[in-house]
Amino acid sequence: MLEFQNITKIYTSKNKQVVGVDNVSLKINKGDIFGIVGYSGAGKSSLLRCVNLLERPSSGKVLVDGVDLTKLSSGALRTARLKIGMIFQHFYLISQKTVGENIAFALRAANTPKNKINGRVKELLEMVGLSDKKDVFPAQLSGGQKQRVGIARALANNPSILLCDEATSALDPKTTLSILKLLKQINEKLGITIVLITHEMNVVKEICNRMAIMQDGKVIEEGAVYDIFAQPVKPLTQEFINSVVSFEIPDEILKDVKGQVLKLLFKGDVAGEGVISDTIQQFDVKGNFLHGTIEYIQERPLGIFIMELQGEKTVVNEAKNYMEQRGAIVEVVKHV
Amino acid sequence: MFDFPYFITMLPDIWKAFKETVVMIGIALSISIIIGLPLGVLLFVTDKGLFWENRFVKNIFGFAVNLVRSIPFIILLVALFPLTKILVGTTIGPVAASVSLSVAAIPYFARLVEASLRDIDKGVIEATIAVGATPWMIIKDVLLPEAKSTIIRGITLTVISLVAYSAMAGTIGGGGIGDLAIRFGYYRYDNTIMISTVVILIIFVQLIQLIGEQFAKSLDKR
Repeated sequence: MLEFQNITKIYTSKNKQVVGVDNVSLKINKGDIFGIVGYSGAGKSSLLRCVNLLERPSSGKVLVDGVDLTKLSSGALRTARLKIGMIFQHFYLISQKTVGENIAFALRAANTPKNKINGRVKELLEMVGLSDKKDVFPAQLSGGQKQRVGIARALANNPSILLCDEATSALDPKTTLSILKLLKQINEKLGITIVLITHEMNVVKEICNRMAIMQDGKVIEEGAVYDIFAQPVKPLTQEFINSVVSFEIPDEILKDVKGQVLKLLFKGDVAGEGVISDTIQQFDVKGNFLHGTIEYIQERPLGIFIMELQGEKTVVNEAKNYMEQRGAIVEVVKHV
Repeated sequence: MFDFPYFITMLPDIWKAFKETVVMIGIALSISIIIGLPLGVLLFVTDKGLFWENRFVKNIFGFAVNLVRSIPFIILLVALFPLTKILVGTTIGPVAASVSLSVAAIPYFARLVEASLRDIDKGVIEATIAVGATPWMIIKDVLLPEAKSTIIRGITLTVISLVAYSAMAGTIGGGGIGDLAIRFGYYRYDNTIMISTVVILIIFVQLIQLIGEQFAKSLDKR
């Protein structure tokens, strides 16, 4: 388990103090894929770099499996870092060493016996799907391949945590998906806790199970990805969610709508139970879809629909109550 | 103006002078690499934000390097006579001249090494720190390999500077091509020697530059 306790990071430059991370406390459970989302400058990168102490927090504790890393000697910290893998937006491979040597470097850092290194390098390359690239230099690889080497290097010493610092932000959408798939595989196969920071909600939606949103150095919202996607609370969170699941209806259209406009939210299995068709059949109302989608987050369906209900006001209200009884979360967008 | 038969008779002298130059530069270059390379690495890794950050060490060595570099070479040459006498036993000849040449070249090369290391992407160093590597591993397997090509270019630059300095060292008893040029070409108005020494130096420097650049390029895997 990874725990941040009251982490604050203050940067001091000439006569000026900037708060990078402001009193953040977070718990990340073993096996989580935890996404930290925020715009640049929100402090998410600083927070992530506090995990392996690439940056030392000004105050607060970082506990990795109960051990406070800030208290360790430099030698013990180095040993602790062997168990915390990290990958980067710009990969940061040693350009003058081959792919195999890059991975072997990490193994040598852990004093792996010489005769074991070759076998382990092969194993790791196989895992990331680059078995044929062992003797190639990084310059000859594509971005996605470089990130795979980065992942192999990060996993070399069987870490319990993998930190991803905007790991897919320099990659095209297709490559991003393939890297995310690989990360998910690693999480499932090896049980490694993954903490990733990103400004792309798609990444979070694709693989994370829990997430936090950061703004001005603070965590403003935190929870299961599904719940946050279903009902984001803070305006910034809504803004991020809207970037992947947008429900803007043009004012022109909304103006011409005669009935009551409802936003319906179906969580989990409710989405598949035909609540809307039952409602229309049972009540004397006319339904008219304005917008809608079913998103699959963590393989759980999340149905979001915006529809117009026309009919007697009391009947519309009854229909609304009926849908709520059936498990829909109903929000009135426009009253008649 | 150029007396070819005379040039032929002078060839043994020119050859001797050339060998002296090569000895001076060879010794001075070896010593400046042996001492300047670690010094350059030290200047870099004790800098702010690096794993051996140490302002005291950085300032002391930085000051020493600047001090030597600010002394005009001709003054350094004379000022180091006592040291040369102790180390070599004489102040005459190419070996004696290589003492002051080394002293001048060490800080020059060290600064070039430091600049080469500064060119490495900080992220690469950070990534290897995150991997859990020891400082020694980072120096040996990251810093030096990543800066290899630029360091080779630094060696090229140092050799070329040494060629220029060696001419100065020649005038006060060091021997070598520069000495020949001044004694014959300048003091005796001997144009043949003047032209041949200058041509030899031009070819020498061009060759060094060419070889150094080719070597640096062939090593770079980027």
